[in-house]
Order: sequence, then C-alpha cells, then structure tokens
Amino acid sequence: MTALLTMEQVSGALREYGPAEQVRKNRIRVNTDPQKILSAIKAAQQFLDCDHLILISCTDDTGSFGLTYHLTGPHRTVISLAVSVPRESPQVFSVSDILPPAAIYERQIHDLFGIVFSGHPGLTRLMLNEDWPDGEYPLRKDWKPNKANSYGGAAPEGA
Amino acid sequence: MTGERQSLSQRIANWARVKSPWVTVFNSGACNACDIEIIACLMPRFDVERFGILAKGSPRHADILIVTGAVTRKQASRLRRIWEQMPEPKYVIACGACGAGGGVFQGLYHVVGDVGTVIPVDMYVAGCPPRPDEIINAVVACLNLMKEDLARGGKEWRKKAEDTGRKETAPGTGAEVNV
Repeated sequence: MTALLTMEQVSGALREYGPAEQVRKNRIRVNTDPQKILSAIKAAQQFLDCDHLILISCTDDTGSFGLTYHLTGPHRTVISLAVSVPRESPQVFSVSDILPPAAIYERQIHDLFGIVFSGHPGLTRLMLNEDWPDGEYPLRKDWKPNKANSYGGAAPEGA
Repeated sequence: MTGERQSLSQRIANWARVKSPWVTVFNSGACNACDIEIIACLMPRFDVERFGILAKGSPRHADILIVTGAVTRKQASRLRRIWEQMPEPKYVIACGACGAGGGVFQGLYHVVGDVGTVIPVDMYVAGCPPRPDEIINAVVACLNLMKEDLARGGKEWRKKAEDTGRKETAPGTGAEVNV
C-alpha cells in the first residue's frame, strides 16, 4: 500500500484548477470551474494516479447546483473535484469519455436534477418511470408535485 | 365438493398444487426488510421447503406471488406484467404495511399506491416487516383459500361475498376472507 497523498502533492498537481483544501486526513477537496473539469480529471489521472471514480454527487443549494467528482486510486486518498453549475443554464461537459463509469451517475443526475451533460452518449432516463413528464426534476429544492399533473406509471388497464 | 366431478389429472394437479405451492417474490419498491424476512423463511431456521413451499425464480413456474412494498410508478406496469405471466390459478400475497396501504411511502411522488391498486390481492400480511412465521402463516392461509376455491370451483364465491358485504369464514383457518 502506498502512502496517502499530501496536500502539497495535490495542490501542486492541480494548482491551475483552483484552491485545494484538506477536509479530512484522507480527503482533499479542489474547487474548480465547470469548464475546467475535464482537464482537471485528466490531470488527477495523470499526476495523482487517480484511476477510480467513487461517485459523482449533486447538491442543490437553491442558487446553483454543486457537482462533486470523487476520485481515488491506490493511495486511498479521495480527491473531490467540486464545480458549481448555474441554475439558469445547468449544463456541464460529460466526463464519460475519459471515465466510463461516470456515464451512469450522469444519467441519474440528469434524471433527478435536470443537469445536461453535453457529449454524453446516451442521456436517457435511469430512475424515473418512462412516462414521467419532461421538465420535472424531483430532487430540485423548488420542485413540488403538481396535483393537476400526471406523473405516469398509472395502474394499467384492467387493474 | 360442488360442481361437476373433475378429471383424474385435474385432481392430481390440484392435490399437488396444495401440497407443494411454488412461490415467487417480487419487490415492487420495498425497503428490503420484507425481502429479508422472506429469505429468512427459506433459510434453515424456518425452512419452509420442508412443508413443500418452494421459492421459484420465474413467475411462470409459481402459484403464489408474494409482493413486498408499495408499488412505485416504474414498477406498476412491470408488476402487472409479471402477474399476467403467472398460470391460473394464481394467488397474490401483499407483504407488510406498505403492500397493504402504502405504509410510510404513501403519497410520495414516485409511488402509485398499494399492491391492490395494480393487481388483485388475495391475502394481506400485517407488520413492518412481518415476522417469518407470519409470512408462513399467510402462505398456509392462502393454501386453505386455494382449497376452498377448488371446492367451490373458482374465486367467484369470494367476489359474491364481497358484493353482498357478507363475511365468510374460510374453513380451517378461522380467517375472514374479503372483508
């Protein structure tokens, strides 16, 4: 087992992408821009040996969406690359071409938060039912189910 | 026995069906607690296989469908399709509080409702989750219902009881059906 990455190593490798902070002993967070996320992940793969994507998490802080890409590698240090996506145009580049497992997380986030990942090979529904109405994103903070709306999945004929 | 006398092969099939019911489990959006209790039924401690109750992987091989959990919007059509694939006579047991009325998931944006809104249910098991012995009891009560249906030539007698609001007691169980 290799040693944990140090703050100096991470901030050195990812200096141009944003400030790094040590949130826990084995977790270092780097806040970056949505435009730089692809190259930041490539740099983490190349210089920090981050060959594994744990997950992509999404939060809604009512003003914008926070996307966090959690990467790790044989050093067992979690590198959290955080970006803030504006609410008016929730669009960010897909990282599924350099990180294939990201595709399914991006589909999930697209389904539940409505963030569009441009360049994704198949941004279709993952969790919600197929006849769920377009433009309704249930995990957004300002979303409320509309009683007049049909959300699909009704009991089939003859039930 | 009412109705016309059945053929020998039919009587053998009926005997075998009651003697060894094959069950299949379907999770229509449960929290997995009911599923764990059902698996506990199949494991050596409760071991329902010694009574001939066999868990099958396919609904096409099963006599009894045990549905756990409230039905989500995504699972409603799938649950219906699985139920339609089962051969007659088929029986449905809705497991737990969620299967009976939606439970804690009632009214959520992704939930259609209880199992009864999608497929006809023959037996409800209370509990959150029901204990394995309660699930075994439900299967045994379902078998008594099956026997009664065979004797009366189908499920129609229960429908009549429902229409007239009359409660009938299934013999041998003491359980009231279609209340």
